[in-house]
Parts: sequence; structure tokens; C-alpha cells
Amino acid sequence: MTRLTLDRLEKRYGAMLAVDQISLDIPSGEMVVLLGPSGCGKTTTLRMIAGFIEASGGDVLLDGQSILDLPPYRREMGLVFQSYALFPHMTVARNIAFGLEMRNTPRAAASQRVQEMLRLTRLERLADRFPRQLSGGQQQRVALARALAIHPRVLLLDEPLSNLDASLRAEVGRDIRLMQRAAGLTTIMVTHDQDEAMAMADRLVVLRDGRVEQSGTQEDLYERPATPFVASFIGRSTMLEGTLADGTVGVESARLALAGRYAGTGACTLALRPERLRLNGAGAGRVDGVVELASYLGPVRDHLVRIAPERHLLVREPTAAAGRLHDAGDTVTVTWDVAAERVFDQAGAPQAELS
Amino acid sequence: MVEEEHPARLKSVSKRTAATGFLGPATLVVTVMLAAPLLLLLRFSLNRFDIKELMIETVTAENYLRFFTDPFYLGVLRTTVLVAVTSTVLCLLFGLPLAYRLARSQSRWKSLCMLAIVLPLFVGSTVRMVGWMILFAHGGMLDSAVRWVNGVGLEVMYTPFAVVAGIVSINLPYVVLTIQSAIETIDIRIEEAAQSLGAPPGRQFWLVVWPLALPGTAIAGILCFILAMNAYATPYLLGGPRFQMMAPLLYWEFSTNNNWPFASALALILMSTTLVLTACSNLLIPRRYRA
Repeated sequence: MTRLTLDRLEKRYGAMLAVDQISLDIPSGEMVVLLGPSGCGKTTTLRMIAGFIEASGGDVLLDGQSILDLPPYRREMGLVFQSYALFPHMTVARNIAFGLEMRNTPRAAASQRVQEMLRLTRLERLADRFPRQLSGGQQQRVALARALAIHPRVLLLDEPLSNLDASLRAEVGRDIRLMQRAAGLTTIMVTHDQDEAMAMADRLVVLRDGRVEQSGTQEDLYERPATPFVASFIGRSTMLEGTLADGTVGVESARLALAGRYAGTGACTLALRPERLRLNGAGAGRVDGVVELASYLGPVRDHLVRIAPERHLLVREPTAAAGRLHDAGDTVTVTWDVAAERVFDQAGAPQAELS
Repeated sequence: MVEEEHPARLKSVSKRTAATGFLGPATLVVTVMLAAPLLLLLRFSLNRFDIKELMIETVTAENYLRFFTDPFYLGVLRTTVLVAVTSTVLCLLFGLPLAYRLARSQSRWKSLCMLAIVLPLFVGSTVRMVGWMILFAHGGMLDSAVRWVNGVGLEVMYTPFAVVAGIVSINLPYVVLTIQSAIETIDIRIEEAAQSLGAPPGRQFWLVVWPLALPGTAIAGILCFILAMNAYATPYLLGGPRFQMMAPLLYWEFSTNNNWPFASALALILMSTTLVLTACSNLLIPRRYRA
């Protein structure tokens, strides 16, 4: 059982800060997902923890002890890569046994551990195959088995699902999560895919430009995004820039009545969740508009509503609940309650709601 | 449907004609330039040499018998093979670390390093050999420097060492570039995976990089071996008149003695030896690593 701590970890490339003082405390057994667009520093952070990139500052601690001086082969990290990175000249069984061989594990114990890992990952029948004879999902399960066979102190997952088909993604993701839980492994996963991140994490850390933008549970990030970036990156939001005054936001020629009451005034960014907006429904938040486009997507129906000549709102209504279906050209009132809206001031800080 | 099939078939026919059209000239050139001379050599090697009439058309094995019964000629072949094997081994020993370092380098100087390795190829091998001669010759730079240090000079010129050094210097760029491109195709994450599983650099290299780089390394070795077996300028200039290798000997028989039949036999013996040894070297590589 291992507690992993990043203490103001930093990576500089010349004048460029790739990772800017990231601090993170991950209690034993927790799975944290680093989420962010490409170039946000998430992979650099992971590789610093694994030891492949030297940190420019700060510290990485396992149970309070710095591991920055250890070479990668002595850090006892289980690594799973996007590209699987299996040894192509070794069978599945030998791939899994590799780490045990490096530890000079006695033959009998090693083969027992390999069998156990093959069983856990449902790969028994493929033990003597070579990686090129396996599907992507099978290869990634071998990579997982190989990483877990050595009883790593920390599991590091670098976009482990990105190379897989959509259908396999969920399956391998579940495998990873179940095995991680069963082994009680402290885990960091890196991804740019928010669905993957939401599905797998105990806790999410959103990175942007090398800095932690917000960290918290899925609910924290979705319900209470701390910045406009998080509001648009976690889930979907329509972002409108306007002026806040007297409980309304003026966006060009449109005037949106807010559901909540806010203290601030002046320039602001309003984030609205499409799935929480209704057409001609109840709720104190409201704005008039014209449906410009309606698309039926099965469980939901998306409406693009024009509220000003150059401004649109996306409204996503469940198909079952829709009383009357609206089509392009219909004049509607978009309504919502306080959970659908989030108001940020000019600096990007959320406006506190007055109760 | 029928209307659609017809043009498609026409297209494939015209495609095939086009392919034949493009491949034809090359095939013709290869046949004429490679196969024909070889057949001619084979025919010449069975002729008899006469000092007055030069080449008498007949069918005899005497040129081959002469080679395989004379210890001098067998000695030349042995020297050639020894020099080729030694320089190949040295090229691989020097080339492998260099190629690995280069393939894994992310330095901004990488392309400059590559250029530095390719640059010698821009200078003809004869010119480079003259450089080695200046370095190695009696009273040359090396000789003078050693004489200055301990009073006794160092004679390197006209030794096997000089010849091997010369061949290594010529072949090393080819070896490095071949192995480097082989290593570039190995995903670096595979090495990182090995490290994260507890393999220190040495074990990681032998268990992961070496087996995966083996096919490319073998090709580099074969390339180097073939070049060394057929080396002409290097043994001629750095080995001197008494150090005999096959290619200079062959040329001497051909141009000075005008003994075309024996020169042809020498050429075919050199070629067959190279081919047989190359094929044998393939057996050293475990089957599953073969390219």
C-alpha cells in the first residue's frame, strides 16, 4: 500500500514550463486521472513519476520518501502504454514473466504468478502466442498483466485505451478498473478523453498549460466547474460572453434572465449545460429564441436555438419527455433552473450565488 | 453492372501492361549487365591460357585445379576471408553502440551527427586511403609521433593492421546507418517497459534491443563482409605488394598477365566463397529473428 505525493513538481524546457509546480496527494488505493488537452503536461508528469524524464524542480514521494534519485528500473512502477509496448519476440507468458525474471523470482513462484495473471486477464489460452497474433484489446490486457505481475507500488497508465476500438475501450477500461480495485493499487492514469476519465477515476485532475486547473470528483467538476475551461472540458457547455446586471446577462441583442442571483456586475462568461435546458419549460432562467436546427439522436434531440443574430444555444431534450417536438423555425423560450448555469467573472473565477 | 465491369477489367489489363512496360527495361538491363557477364566469366574460366595466343577455347578445369592445389593461392583466399571477418566483427563492435546512441538521440545535433557519419562517403575511398598512407607511412605522422615519444618508430604501413583499419574506416558508415535505421523502428516504449519492469540498462539491451535489432545488424554485417571480401584499393594501397588479397590478385592476373581464364576462375571462386559464407552466417541467427 503506497501513498504517492507530488510536491511542486516542475519541468522546464529552456524558457518553457511544461509542468508548473504540480502538487498532488494520492492516498493508497486511489485512482487519479490526469485529464487535459494535448500539451497540457499530463504525459510529462507521468514520465517524471516513472523516471524517464528528469524533474527540474519539486519532488515525487512514495510513502514520504523521495524517489527522484532512483533510476526507472528501481522505482517499481507498473507501466501501461498507449502503444502496448509488448516485447514482440516473446510469448504472452514470457512477457508477463519478464518483470519476475528481473527480480530473480524462483521459477515455481514465477510460473504460478504468471498463471494467476493469465487467469485474471482471461488470457490462459493465449499464453504461447506472440503479441502480433493478438488483437489490440488482448495485447493491452497482456500489458496490464505484465505490469501487475511484479506487484508494483504504483500503477501508471498512459492513455491505455486510446488505441482501442470504441467497443473494446469500455471492456478493457472495466478490466483495468476491476484489477486496480482488487489489488488496491495507487494509480495514475493520463488521458485526453473525458468520458474515459469520468468512467474510471476516483478523482479527476484537470490540467491546462502545465498547471492544475481543478481537481475533484466527477460531480465536483461537472456541477461546480471552477473555470470556464473546466466547464467546457468536462461535459458540454455553451459559453456566452456578456454583461451581468440585475440578474440578467446581456449577450449582444439578447437578454438572458438567470435562475440564480449573483452579487457581481460587469463582463462575465455564462456557461449553460445543453442537457439541462428545456424548451418552453419551467425555471427562472429564460431567454427567447428561434429553433434553427433540430436533430433526432435517439435518446435525445438536439436543438440549435438562435438567441441573437450571431449567438446560439444548444438545447438537448430527452426524446421521451418532450411533449411537443419543435422544428426549425419554431419560436421558443429556452428555460432552465439554477443547476444548468454557471457564471464566471472576467478573470474566470465563478460568481458566488447569493442564497 | 455489365457496363461497370467492362471498364474495370480493361483497366486492370492496361495496368498489367503498364507494369510490364515499366519493369521490362530494368529486367533487360539486369539480365544483360549481370547475368550475361557472369555466364561469360564461367565460360572463360574453363578456357586454357597460352602466352602467345592468350585464350584458347576449350573445356578444362585446370584453372580451378591450379588455384586449389597451390598453397599460395589458398593462402590469399584465407587472408581475404580473415581480413573480411575481422573487419566485419570490428565494424559491428564499433558500429552498434554508435548506431544505438544515434537512433535514440533526440538532440538537436542529431542531423549534424548523421551528416558527420555520411560525410566520409563523399570522399572517394582511394583519397581516404592516401590519407591513411600519410598517417601510417614510414616517417609518417604516426611513425614520427611514436618515435618522438619512445625513440623507436612504429611501422604500420603494409601490415594486415593497416588494411583492416582502412576497410573498417570505409565500411563503418554503411554499418552504422543500417543498424541505426533498424533500431529506429523499435518503439522506445518497449525499452521503457523493460526498464519499468526492473531491467537495468545492460539486461534491457541484451534481452530486448539486441534480439529486435538482430535482423538489421545481420544485414549490416553481411553488407560489410561482402564489401571487405571484394576490397581492392585498400589492400592494394595499404597492404603493399606483399600483402595479397583476392581482388587485387584478380586484377593483376587479368590486366598484367592477360590471363583471362585464370582471372575468371578467381572471380568466380571469390564470389562463391562470399555467397557460401554469407549463407552460413545466416545460420548463426536464431530462426525467429531472421529477417
